[in-house]
Amino acid sequence: MRGTSLRLLAVSLTLLAATACMGDGGDSSSGNASIRLQVSGEREETAVYRAVVRAFEKDNPQIDVTLVEVADKDDHLAKLATAFSAGDPPDVFLVNFREYSQFVSRGAVAPFEDHLAAQEMDLADYYEEPIEAFTFDGALQCMPQNISSLVVYFNTDLFERAGVEPPFGGWTWDEFRDAALELTTRDVRGVGIEPNVIRLAPFMWSNGGELVDDDTEPTRFTFDDPASREALEFVVSLVRDDEVVPSEREVAAQDLETRFTTGKIAMLLSSRRETPPFREVTGLNFDVLPLPQAERPSGILHSDGYCIAAQSDEQTAAAELIAYATGEQGQTITTLGGRTVPSLESVANSLAFLDPLQAPAHSQVFLDGIPDLRRTPVIPTWPEIEDLAEEILTRAFYEPGYTIDDAIAALEDQTSELFAEGGE
Amino acid sequence: MTRRMLHGAAVFGVALVFILPLAFMLLGSLRVPGLAPPDGFEWVPDRIRWANFQTVFDLVPLWGYIWNSVLVAAVAVPVTVVVGSLAGFAIATAGPVVRRRLVLVSLVALMIPVTALWIPRFVLFRWAGLIDTPIVLMLPALMATTPFFVLIFAVVYSRIPKQMFEAAALEGSSAIATWRRVAVPLGRPATFAVSVLALVWHWANFVDPLLYLTTEERFTVPLALRTLQTLEATNHPLMLAAAVIATVIPLALFFLAQRAFFVKTLDI
Repeated sequence: MRGTSLRLLAVSLTLLAATACMGDGGDSSSGNASIRLQVSGEREETAVYRAVVRAFEKDNPQIDVTLVEVADKDDHLAKLATAFSAGDPPDVFLVNFREYSQFVSRGAVAPFEDHLAAQEMDLADYYEEPIEAFTFDGALQCMPQNISSLVVYFNTDLFERAGVEPPFGGWTWDEFRDAALELTTRDVRGVGIEPNVIRLAPFMWSNGGELVDDDTEPTRFTFDDPASREALEFVVSLVRDDEVVPSEREVAAQDLETRFTTGKIAMLLSSRRETPPFREVTGLNFDVLPLPQAERPSGILHSDGYCIAAQSDEQTAAAELIAYATGEQGQTITTLGGRTVPSLESVANSLAFLDPLQAPAHSQVFLDGIPDLRRTPVIPTWPEIEDLAEEILTRAFYEPGYTIDDAIAALEDQTSELFAEGGE
Repeated sequence: MTRRMLHGAAVFGVALVFILPLAFMLLGSLRVPGLAPPDGFEWVPDRIRWANFQTVFDLVPLWGYIWNSVLVAAVAVPVTVVVGSLAGFAIATAGPVVRRRLVLVSLVALMIPVTALWIPRFVLFRWAGLIDTPIVLMLPALMATTPFFVLIFAVVYSRIPKQMFEAAALEGSSAIATWRRVAVPLGRPATFAVSVLALVWHWANFVDPLLYLTTEERFTVPLALRTLQTLEATNHPLMLAAAVIATVIPLALFFLAQRAFFVKTLDI
């Protein structure tokens, strides 16, 4: 709840920023510059950004970069929103594509597209999906650093003990359910799934359904469409009927990541961001599998991009930093840290990412899924819509007597205003 | 059962409620990091690892953070007490109409959600060139940190018989002198209470440094705890070790101050 309210606050704060965000966009291509970069993440995650900044400063001694690390993502957004409103934002900040449009729609971001030529960058070297995700109002707004997606992390020891063969080549929903049942014992649950939109959407897409009525100008959720509904029913039945997913009480006592690291769940649906912390856990042997599929393979994009604040006086220096961080050297550094699936194709296919000696051994799974990636719509009110949907889906997962119909009706009723607001 | 025993049991019960979380924090901080967290409560870890208290300094520059926090508290707490005490004295000695208005203003100020102040303060601090300086963390002390502290002083000073202030005034004392010679000595419990509360307030202040500071060298202890909180649960012993360090400092100050307070006020 705290996270939700902070995030809502962040959004309302950015509303205030509308007037304050008309930057002059001054330039200082030559001479010394001092810029600020704000990122969020755990200490292990942000270590890679520290390394990138150091390497960049070594190559560009005339530019001084202050790295501002905020541990928690909601704190990150609150700090950004306040700084923007007060007219003193960081020159560059890193955000998820599901969150950047609220900044763009209020004029807070200087499109990165304008810097591409000067920085001699060719978008053809990058995967298309994240570039599209960060394109808004017809221009590339922020420069994506990664192309992560939802995969199934699994505990190799628990698979071995249950005699389940990991299906690296792909699997169906039924095979997924059977594996989860086989892996579930008195102390272990088969799989951890969070009750939210970004976990459910790939199931809906894979079943031939849709998440929203229109990807570019959504006006409502389409959980009532038969294929989408079937996907929701499948996931909910894993929780309610098969009981292969930890109960609400179990999750409240210990979150899914912790349950995975301690061998209490055998599989966990998550993105690349779990990799660095999982590597730190002594005695945890893990690897990744593709998502199970129904009619067609489908995945969901996770991507963070570097944005330049419109108010920044150091547009060129900021663009140089971004070009470096998302270029060959910068992406190699972040990739070696384990945190990212690089958005630059050459780095993604290098050993920096595919090193089979580092867990997960089958990192190729992330790359194989790229052609089938889809994404959630980019509208300014999307973060709030997700928060509301998570509350409803949590009830659909766990609350006795709360039916799929109740959930679908609630999703329709409670989000319609936010969709309308986001479309304006 | 005698009254005395009942009283003793009640005191013990209340103390237990407050001590248990501290005990869990301390015991948890001694676990070996990387191990699975226990299911439920574990009284004493199998293997005790004091080295956590060292490791945590490698993870975050905790000494620097502590120094910054101490610096802020060292300035902000005395200023809070002086300003709050003066303002409380003003309320207590004002005429009935003015007093009612001042109390009302304080209550209204108390009810303004802090979040509504984030942006105005940011704008103000930025205009004054104070963003990313420790001064922004001390400035609230100029307004007694929170109106609540002013009201504590006001209530306590209102209980002092009016005649004492009047007598001092008759002897030719100025308002400030009356405050210093009559109100402060008689209202010592309030001073002590507000000092402790203000110390806790400034020591635990998380949002202000988060929003107004950007340079790591100037960060304070709560930001370090927040960073460590994002570690995987298997590494939470390290977070708890930092929490123990962060708790021990104000706790030690409290006991020192408490001694001084009791010796001076109660003559024990």
